Amino acid sequence: MFDIFKQLIMSSGAVSLTGGNLIMWLVAFVLLYLAVKKQYEPLLLLPIAFGILVVNLPLTFLMEPEHGLIWFFYHYGIENDIIPPLIFLGLGAMIDFGPLIANPKTLLLGAGAQVGLYVTFFAAILFGFDLREAASIAIIGGADGPTTIYLTSKLAPQLLGATAVSAYAYMALVPIIQPPIMKLLTTDHERKIVMSKLRPVSRLQKICFPIISAMTIMLLVPASAPLISMLMLGNLFKESGVVERLTKASSNELMNIVTIFLGLSVGATMTASTFLSPKVLFIFFLGLFAFIISTASGLLMAKFMNLFLKNKINPLIGAAGVSAVPMAARCVHKVGSEANRRNYLLMHAMGPNVAGVIGTVVAAAILLKNLG
Amino acid sequence: MHSMTDWSKVLEVFGSGIVGVYLVMILLQLLTQLSTRIIDLVEKGNKTGAAAPKPPGNDVEVKA
Repeated sequence: MFDIFKQLIMSSGAVSLTGGNLIMWLVAFVLLYLAVKKQYEPLLLLPIAFGILVVNLPLTFLMEPEHGLIWFFYHYGIENDIIPPLIFLGLGAMIDFGPLIANPKTLLLGAGAQVGLYVTFFAAILFGFDLREAASIAIIGGADGPTTIYLTSKLAPQLLGATAVSAYAYMALVPIIQPPIMKLLTTDHERKIVMSKLRPVSRLQKICFPIISAMTIMLLVPASAPLISMLMLGNLFKESGVVERLTKASSNELMNIVTIFLGLSVGATMTASTFLSPKVLFIFFLGLFAFIISTASGLLMAKFMNLFLKNKINPLIGAAGVSAVPMAARCVHKVGSEANRRNYLLMHAMGPNVAGVIGTVVAAAILLKNLG
Repeated sequence: MHSMTDWSKVLEVFGSGIVGVYLVMILLQLLTQLSTRIIDLVEKGNKTGAAAPKPPGNDVEVKA
């Protein structure tokens, strides 16, 4: 009887537990707390946290190549570039490009925010990361989870867990990170600028935009095709108004299903051996740096544009050039209305916000072309 | 982490990245402005055509 009991204990995962596993459990519990209690990006952080927890239970072999259940999700979903483009399909079906079409100048703000990404690339090199790792860290500044995962899985898969968690964590912290930078880089007078109402955009214009954008961007940067094609297809579904079932399926059912596999797979890459290294601390630090510089460069771009514009724009909307849709736009609106109660910046900020999504994909594709 | 860094490659990625992103976004801006202007004109034309009164006498009314 004792022998059977002893055998059971010896064959269990408990005896193979390491200190690293225990620390990773702690990381998982912290993320679970943030997701459940604080509701920080719960749709992603919850499956990521659970993925971390189960993959750090010894002898489960969930990430064992060719055998583990989650390995199959990871291999076919992320390594084979299926999941991030599908997330973009759903995103496209939810995004309204109307504010961007009404004020196309805001595309430049989406580009402005990407400068921060390249500054971080430079900084990561100075910290000793190699070029491919530096690019994967820099893309966190784009504040776009699927793009971060897409690029990192191609350039530095060993950093996937850290960059993805960092990107989603900072996206959730937009209302805390961005306002101090906005206030620091703008004057009270600038924050009070009231922008005139956006012109109405017709249905035909909304239908043409995804077609023109897809053709233009993919012709210029073919490496962006997987993400841009899906983003614009999803948007065409929505704006055409004739495939309501597909729009709903893309933005609800499909999006929800792939989110489960995305979160679980990303979490499962965070084993103690890959995650517990000084590199990860640097990644979190550089991710925050990227986010701050991207916000600042978007704001400065808006101020620069104001030097030439007759109808001044409120420079706060430049901060929405980092993607984080629609959180960054909401944050801009909040700071703007604090300065001037008559200020209604939400729709104006949605322009640079969705331009940021396009800009981040273009930046990622250029990095991929240069370093892939 | 690496100790050997190819700085010429770093500068190439840095420069081409920033220039590339701006180039794509500026072109997209111009094309968006152009297409919306064309669509505005077409839609305006269609509206004017639809709203204009029909010239008298051209209608052939058939009554059963």
